[in-house]
Amino acid sequence: MREHGPVGLRMEGVGKRYGRGPVIVDGIELAAEPGLPVVIAGANGSGKTTLLRIAAGATAPTWGRVTGRPKGVGYVPDRFPAHLRMPVGAYLRHMRRVRCAGGDAAVLTSAVLADLGFTADPGVPMNQLSKGNAQKVGLAQALAGGAELLVLDEPWSGLDVAARPALTSAVAAAAESGAMVVVTDHTGIADALPRLRRMQLRDGKLQDGDAAGPCAVVTLLCREPDLMAGELATDPEHDVTVAAGAVTLTVPSGHVDGLLRRALQLGCSVREVRPLAAGARP
Amino acid sequence: MILPLLRYSLSDLLRSQRFLIPCVLYAGLLAVLFGGDPGAPPAPWAASGLALYPVAAWLAVTVANTEDPVQRDVTTAAAGSPWRVVGGLLATCLVVDVVLVAMAIVWPMIATRYEYPPQLVVAGALAHLAAAVSGTAVGLACARPVLRGIGWTALAVAGIVVVTGIQNWLPPVGTAIKALDAASPSLLVLARDVAIALALAALAGTLSVRFSRRR
Repeated sequence: MREHGPVGLRMEGVGKRYGRGPVIVDGIELAAEPGLPVVIAGANGSGKTTLLRIAAGATAPTWGRVTGRPKGVGYVPDRFPAHLRMPVGAYLRHMRRVRCAGGDAAVLTSAVLADLGFTADPGVPMNQLSKGNAQKVGLAQALAGGAELLVLDEPWSGLDVAARPALTSAVAAAAESGAMVVVTDHTGIADALPRLRRMQLRDGKLQDGDAAGPCAVVTLLCREPDLMAGELATDPEHDVTVAAGAVTLTVPSGHVDGLLRRALQLGCSVREVRPLAAGARP
Repeated sequence: MILPLLRYSLSDLLRSQRFLIPCVLYAGLLAVLFGGDPGAPPAPWAASGLALYPVAAWLAVTVANTEDPVQRDVTTAAAGSPWRVVGGLLATCLVVDVVLVAMAIVWPMIATRYEYPPQLVVAGALAHLAAAVSGTAVGLACARPVLRGIGWTALAVAGIVVVTGIQNWLPPVGTAIKALDAASPSLLVLARDVAIALALAALAGTLSVRFSRRR
């Protein structure tokens, strides 16, 4: 493709800060070519959402250049909002019109909704949808409109487990039919996408994901989880979350033994240790 | 280009109840104003024209704030440009403006027994349009994404409307309302005021686009 000049979305030296706030992302170099999905991993607060908003054209970079963005992007935010009063069917119809999507888009929209296991009636107002169903409407408007660029922010995490494979195959099908795909993912499900390229966003900088090395997820049960989380996450590379009394750490594979030894000394109980594919770090 | 976005935002506006309060208040005002014997035109239109300024600003805020910021991101991405999205919002406001202007002009023509020569009707319509479109400009410039809290928006809209609405030398609203004092208002002045109001609305749209690219 290079012989014919650059094809696809290209971000060059892109940076963003909101007003006089801190720099959120900086020096972003990203190329998304048709059929070659880019999967971006990054911890909470690493600038993923800002990066994707710039890629989708929802906001402009403060500096740097974005070129090759097609008209009409299928963007799904981290949490698809449901405040509109119009019914689901009307919203999807309006979005198809905004995209000037073809006549078969209506059929495709219903198919995508059915595959994702959308359970509400299309006549239900958007603001009465459950969080999961709202997310499915968001995915349907993006996937079924024939967008040449899909920008999906953690699309699998808001979905029930049964609906996840359907989303994976829908994204894979879009990529295979020549769409550009930029997706963030911490579940590891994006690994199933064909011909993917992994990247990692850390402290606002984007790097090739494979350079990050393999990681492991360690889940511990502790008596004082918040205190232990602080005691155990000793390295800036350690990503720690506390939920329902359990401490979950994502660490480089080489750190696992030391971490477990310390955790046992501190009185924690090991619940699970599982490997995480390179680049799929949350 | 912006027609699908106009239909989208108009459709949600009509489903919301938020447009009802300003519209009902305005209809109530028209009923009081033109209910008894308001006097010969165009003087009574000065009051209905001036009242349209804050009503149109209120409705523009309602239109612009319909989508929450994340929903706006999705729409902007789908439309491919914030210009199209803001163009759709502006078009929606202008449609609403035209409906309200028509209501204010036709009401006294039906409810009162004065003569309404075409020249006066055109003058009244232009004055109302200048006030309504100016209100749209103020509302759009003070709503999201320019000002994000509804409290700041309300404060800014009220401040601007009160300060600019009562200056009878200040185009477009002040001079347009003042022109209705004359027995035969200058259509040239009124057309100029409408043009200034449209330019202000375009400016407010530009401001809105600039902020949506920054936020």
